[in-house]
Amino acid sequence: MTVLNERQQLSYIAAQAADARLNVELETEGMTLNIGPQHPATHGTLRIIARLDGEQVVWAEPVAGYMHRGYEKLTEVRTFPQVTALINRIDWLGSFANEVPFILAAEQLMEIEAPPRAQYIRTILFELSRIANVSLFLGDLGVQMGAITPVFMAFRDREYVLNLIEGATGGRFHPNFDRIGGLKDDLPKGWIAETKQVMKKLRTFCDEIEDLLFGNEIFQSRTRGVGIIPADVAKSYGMTGANLRASGVDWDLRRDQKNAMVWDQADFKVWTHPDGDSWARCWIRLQETREATKIVDQLIDNIPAGPVMTKVPRIIKVPAGEAWVSTENPLGEMGYYVVSKGDLGPFRVKIRSASFNNISITPWVLKGVYVPDIITILASLYFILGDIDR
Amino acid sequence: MSDTATGTDETAALPGDGLREGIVDRLRSDLGEHLLDTYLIPHTDLWVRVSAEAWGQTAAALKAQGFDHFCFLSALDWLPSPFGKGEDDPDAEPVAISTELVQGYTGGETRFQVFARLTDIKRHVGVTIKADVPESMSVPTWLPHFAGANWHERETHEMFGIGFEGHPDLRNLYLPGEFEGFPLRKDFPLLSRMVKPWPGIVDVEPMPVAAQEGDGES
Amino acid sequence: MGLVDRGRMPAPLTKLFNMGRSYSMWVYQWGLACCAIEMGAAFGSPRYDVMRLGVIPLPASPRQADLVVVSGTVTDKMAPAVKRLYEQMPEPKYVISMGSCANCGGPYWDSYSVTKGVDQIIPVDVYVPGCPPRPEALLEGIVLLQQRIKNEDMAAKWRNEEFTTLQKTAALEKAKSQPAPEPIVVGGGPIE
Repeated sequence: MTVLNERQQLSYIAAQAADARLNVELETEGMTLNIGPQHPATHGTLRIIARLDGEQVVWAEPVAGYMHRGYEKLTEVRTFPQVTALINRIDWLGSFANEVPFILAAEQLMEIEAPPRAQYIRTILFELSRIANVSLFLGDLGVQMGAITPVFMAFRDREYVLNLIEGATGGRFHPNFDRIGGLKDDLPKGWIAETKQVMKKLRTFCDEIEDLLFGNEIFQSRTRGVGIIPADVAKSYGMTGANLRASGVDWDLRRDQKNAMVWDQADFKVWTHPDGDSWARCWIRLQETREATKIVDQLIDNIPAGPVMTKVPRIIKVPAGEAWVSTENPLGEMGYYVVSKGDLGPFRVKIRSASFNNISITPWVLKGVYVPDIITILASLYFILGDIDR
Repeated sequence: MSDTATGTDETAALPGDGLREGIVDRLRSDLGEHLLDTYLIPHTDLWVRVSAEAWGQTAAALKAQGFDHFCFLSALDWLPSPFGKGEDDPDAEPVAISTELVQGYTGGETRFQVFARLTDIKRHVGVTIKADVPESMSVPTWLPHFAGANWHERETHEMFGIGFEGHPDLRNLYLPGEFEGFPLRKDFPLLSRMVKPWPGIVDVEPMPVAAQEGDGES
Repeated sequence: MGLVDRGRMPAPLTKLFNMGRSYSMWVYQWGLACCAIEMGAAFGSPRYDVMRLGVIPLPASPRQADLVVVSGTVTDKMAPAVKRLYEQMPEPKYVISMGSCANCGGPYWDSYSVTKGVDQIIPVDVYVPGCPPRPEALLEGIVLLQQRIKNEDMAAKWRNEEFTTLQKTAALEKAKSQPAPEPIVVGGGPIE
C-alpha cells in the first residue's frame, strides 16, 4: 500500500527532475529531519522523523509512545466504576465521549439500559464534548499555518461549552459523570436556557471561522490538493470519523449503529466530501460542529421526565461475557472490547482509539510531500496524543 | 446471555438475524474446516474462531465479502492474573489463585489468542475474529490484506510477545527499546502495586479496634 | 555580572533585579498531556490572559526561557527529553510542575511506563495540584513563584545552592560577623 497516487507521483518526478538540474551546480545530499517529540507544530508529543531530499519528504516515520500510560493494563486492576475515571483521559479534549462506549459495553453485559432521560442527557453531553473538542481543532488549524487569531477565538468560545459541561457535571475537563445504569445527577436549574444561548454563540463562531480561515487564500492554497487519501486506502488503514468521511465514505456510527443513545431522535446531516484532501477534512469538521449544535438544540427541548439512574446493585459485578461497543467520538470510532469474568473489574479491555488508526497512515500520506505540508497534513488528520498512545 | 460457547448448530437455530448467519455460511464455504467455532448474539454481534494457519486467509475471505474496513487487531491472555488485583495487604497470606484457562466466547485451547475486528461499512455489520496462538507464538501477518494492521501488530508484539510471520518491522511502538517483558501478559507484575497497597480500596485500613490489637497498620 | 556571582550585590539592588526578573518571565510551555490544554487556556486565551502578570508565554526555544511549566504525564520514554530540555535552559531557571501526573504520577501511579513525578528528574519550584488544575490554579502558581523570586538571594541561586531568601542570608551574615564565642573550658587548660 505504499504506492503513491498519480498526482503525488507526478509531482515527485517533476521535483526530482528539477533537483537533478540543480544538483549539477549545487551538490545536495539528503538529510534527516527530526520533528519532536516536543515541537510547537505538533499537538502533544508525537515525533516525526523525515528523510528529506531537498524540500521533499522521501519517507517519514512517526514515533509514538511518548505518552504511553498503559491504560489497558491499568483497567485490569481497577473496578468497573474506577475505570471510567481513568479512560476519561484518553482523548482529553472530549472527555465525556470517552466514557460512553465503555459504560454502554458494561451495560450490554449486565443487560440493563439507562432510563430515557439519562440517554438524552448523555447524548447532549456527548455532543457538547464534540463541540469542545472540534472547536479547538478549528482554532488550532490557523496556528499551524501562521494565523494566530483563530486560536484566541476558539479558546474564548470553548470556555462557554466548558462552563456548560462544568455546570452539569462538576468537572470542567474530566467529568467522570457517567455511571453504569445512568448518570450521577440530573441537570441543574437554568442549564437548558443557557445551553440554547451558547449553541447560538457557537454557530456564530463557526461562521466566523469559516469567514476568517476557510475563505482565506493562503489557507486554501496550503490545504487544497494536499495530502489526498483515497477511500480504499482510508478503509484499509481503518480510518474513521471525519477523516474517512472526507474521503467520500458515508459512515457515521451515530446514524448507522443502534445503541442506547438517542441520536435517532435528532435530525442531522452526515457530511461527506469527495476530495479526500486536507481541506476536505477540515471542512467536514467545521460542518460537524454545526450539526452538533443542531443536535443539542433539537434534543434539549425533548428531554423526557423521569429518573436518571436505573436500579443497579451497590457493588457492581458485571456478568461474564464479551462485548464490543463503539461510538462516533469527536476523533472517530472509539470502541471498547470488554471481557468480563464476573468479577468487580474487567478481565481485559481492548481500547480501540480513533487516532491510533488515523495516524498510522502518516508514513503513506507524507511520502512525496513538501516539508511545510507535513504540518498541515498532520493538523488536518487531527489526533490527540493520548488517543494514539493510550 | 450465557458465556458458554454456542456451537454452530445451535447458532443456526436462533431466531432472526439472517444477515450474520449468511456471513457465517459464506465464511464456512471459504474456509472449510479451518472455521472452528462461531458465536452469535442475534442483532448484536458475531464472533468466529479460526485456526492459526487460516488467520491470513480469513482476512482475505472476509475482505472479499465486503468487510473492507479494518477496525483493530490485538491479543488476549486467558491466564488468570497470578497477582490478583495486587491490592491486598502485602503481609497477609497470599490467596491461592486458580491458573485454569477459561476462554471466552467461541472457546479455544491455548493461553494466548489473537483477535481482530472488521467492519462492513455498506451492510453496517462487524465481526470479531479470534485464533489460538500456537506454541511457536507466531501467526501470519494481516499486512497484505489491511495496511492498518501494521501498527496494531507491532503493538501486539511488544505487549504480548506474539510474532507475526511476514511483518517486516516488529519494532517497539510504545516502549523504550531497553524495556524488558511484555506488559499486557497477565504474569507481568505492576511493581508499584507490589510495594504499596492500592489506597482506593474500601476497608483497606483496619478498624481502630483492630489496629490496637496489633493487626498491622497498612 | 561579577557582583552577582561573588555575592557582593547590595540587598536593595538585588530586590530591584528580582522585581525585574519576576515580572518579565519567559515561560516555555512543555505541554505533555491533558494539562497542556488547560495551560494553553491559561496562557493563550483571552479569558485568563497571563501577560497581565508579566509573563511572556511564547519563547521560541527553551534556551530563551526562564521558567518551564511541565504539564502532564511524564513517561519513562519522555524523561530523557525533559532532562535535556532543563539542561538547555539558561540560569537562573525555575520549574512549575502542573497537574497530578507531573507531581507524583497521578492516576497512573501504578503504571509500568509512567515516571512517578517529574521531580525525580529535575528540581521543581512550584507544584500545582489538580487533574487537570484549572487555569486559575496555574496562574496562582505563577504568582507564588513571582513572590518567591522577589525575595530570593540571587547569589545563592547563581552558586547553584538551595533556595535562600534575602532575610535568611542577612541573618546568616549577621551571625558570621559576630565573633564566635570562646568555648568555655572547665579548668582553663587547652582542649586535647
